[in-house]
Amino acid sequence: MLRRALSWILLAGLAHAQLAPVRIGIPVRVTDLVIEGSEVEALPIDPKAPLAVRIVAVRPHGTTFRYDIEYVALEAGEFDAAAALKRKDGSAAPIPAIPVRAESKLGPGIVRPHAPKLGDVPGLGGYRTLMIALGVVWLAGLAVLVWLGRKRRQATAAAHARRAQTLSERLRDLVQRAHAGELSERERAELEMSLVAHWRRRLALHDQPASAVLPRLRAHPEAGPLLVALEEWLHAPPPRPPVDMQRLLAPYRDLQDDELELAPTGAR
Amino acid sequence: MTKTNAPAPRLEETQAFIRAVRARVATVVVGQDVVVERLLIGLFTGGHLLLQGVPGLAKTLLVSALSKSIDLDFARVQFTIDLLPSDIVGSQVLDQRKNEFVVRKGPVFTNLLLADEINRAAPKVQGALLEAMQERKVTIGNETFRLPAPFLVIATQNPVEQAGTFELPEAQLDRFMLVHRLGYPSEDEEREILARNAALGVAKQDKGAVVQTEFDVLDQEPVGSTAQIVAAMEAVNSVHVSETFVRHVVDIVNRSRTHPAVELGCSPRAGIALVKASRARALMHGRNYAIPEDLFALAEDAMLHRMRLKYEAVAEGLTGRDVLEDLLKTLGAPQTGALSTAAAV
Repeated sequence: MLRRALSWILLAGLAHAQLAPVRIGIPVRVTDLVIEGSEVEALPIDPKAPLAVRIVAVRPHGTTFRYDIEYVALEAGEFDAAAALKRKDGSAAPIPAIPVRAESKLGPGIVRPHAPKLGDVPGLGGYRTLMIALGVVWLAGLAVLVWLGRKRRQATAAAHARRAQTLSERLRDLVQRAHAGELSERERAELEMSLVAHWRRRLALHDQPASAVLPRLRAHPEAGPLLVALEEWLHAPPPRPPVDMQRLLAPYRDLQDDELELAPTGAR
Repeated sequence: MTKTNAPAPRLEETQAFIRAVRARVATVVVGQDVVVERLLIGLFTGGHLLLQGVPGLAKTLLVSALSKSIDLDFARVQFTIDLLPSDIVGSQVLDQRKNEFVVRKGPVFTNLLLADEINRAAPKVQGALLEAMQERKVTIGNETFRLPAPFLVIATQNPVEQAGTFELPEAQLDRFMLVHRLGYPSEDEEREILARNAALGVAKQDKGAVVQTEFDVLDQEPVGSTAQIVAAMEAVNSVHVSETFVRHVVDIVNRSRTHPAVELGCSPRAGIALVKASRARALMHGRNYAIPEDLFALAEDAMLHRMRLKYEAVAEGLTGRDVLEDLLKTLGAPQTGALSTAAAV
């Protein structure tokens, strides 16, 4: 009986002591607090509760227990720390109140911190997503390159085929236009040098100095007639003498692909 | 100087004159047809020549024979290290009787001047001659004298010896329209030279006798006159140069400037020299129009001395001839930007 009276006295004293205001966010520890009845334990902490309580130590105290408890006020106001406790054995015996009064100590005119800035939005996905994306881009690029290469090969093949088919005809056209004086200055120069290069290759005169090749070509029975005729058309003052085009072009009748490099007709 | 407005000369007469000169030179000089052609090209176009070759290739005899064939004044100056500019152009000397300075003209006052071994003289002497070549006039003291017309300098240079020589810089080499590199005669030509030399007799002189040389048997009677040279010059000017030919010339000169092995490409003078010389060559070959064969034949003489290769190209063993050959082979083709002898033709 005497012991119970003492406990109430202690709790009353504690209640009085706890009414002294505490500061928000500052933990307060109460030691050797005797709570009548069976052992109590702290409820799981509720993040929304204005007061967080935990029991630091429990020691027997006769038929009761003596506790070290710690609490933190998260809001200003008066609270009961016992509301965050419960009987360990699950009994419904009341727990004496442990009053707590919390105060905000921020004075008026305190500058509040700015609202936090918005940061960059983190990249979507992780490393694996990035690698997959890069792989897709690489494969797409490869596909484009393959497609372009195939297209170019097809175009080259078509050009070769066209040239093989029409090389003799194109030469005939160029020569006739040269005779008629219809070629541009560039076409005239390229036609003349293309023929020289052609005969040089055809007669295997690669090792001969360039200065020795032209006289030989001019005197050659096959190469000479057209080269000399071209010289007259391209370099001699008018008039141009009439020519036997069939005879001049006879050596070029069966030209194969790549035998003669002719500029595209109409190239300027 | 008066510009002649004569009608177009008859090409046949000019060609006959050229044939006669060549035949006369051939009586004492065996082979060297190309050199004779280059000399006449220089004479007809007013361009000076530099002959590069080892001694003993009849350079002096050739020039002497040419001058005698056309009745031209001829002087020869052997360039040495101690030669002074006044030894070439002339100087003022004190006439002690009149007690005044009189001008003594130097050997440059002639029609044909053979500057033998020009690279042996100091640069200031070379400079004096090259200035006279370019301006065709000489200043002695306070007086300026015009050089006779025609005036042609034929300089020689020995490519073998390097010690004690002063190599002509590019700027001065550029003033020579053509630089021809003489080669040795062929075996047949050499046999003919020996046969002719063996047939030279002995000439009695005073109480003794001297063994005759080729110079002694030169026919002193000219086969041409200065008037015929003027006619030939006019004929050369009437030779047709087509747009296509000019395009070839511009193309090759431009390519010489962009070739990867070339540090210094041809100057515009190279193009001018090519066109001028091609016209003269065309005339000598019986044409009144220039063709690519003329360009190809003259490219080495007109372009090679105007090109300087890069150090890296020289270190790789490339020569100016290799590069020029590449330029000629790729003429008319798209530029590849590399030495493309194989690819081009």
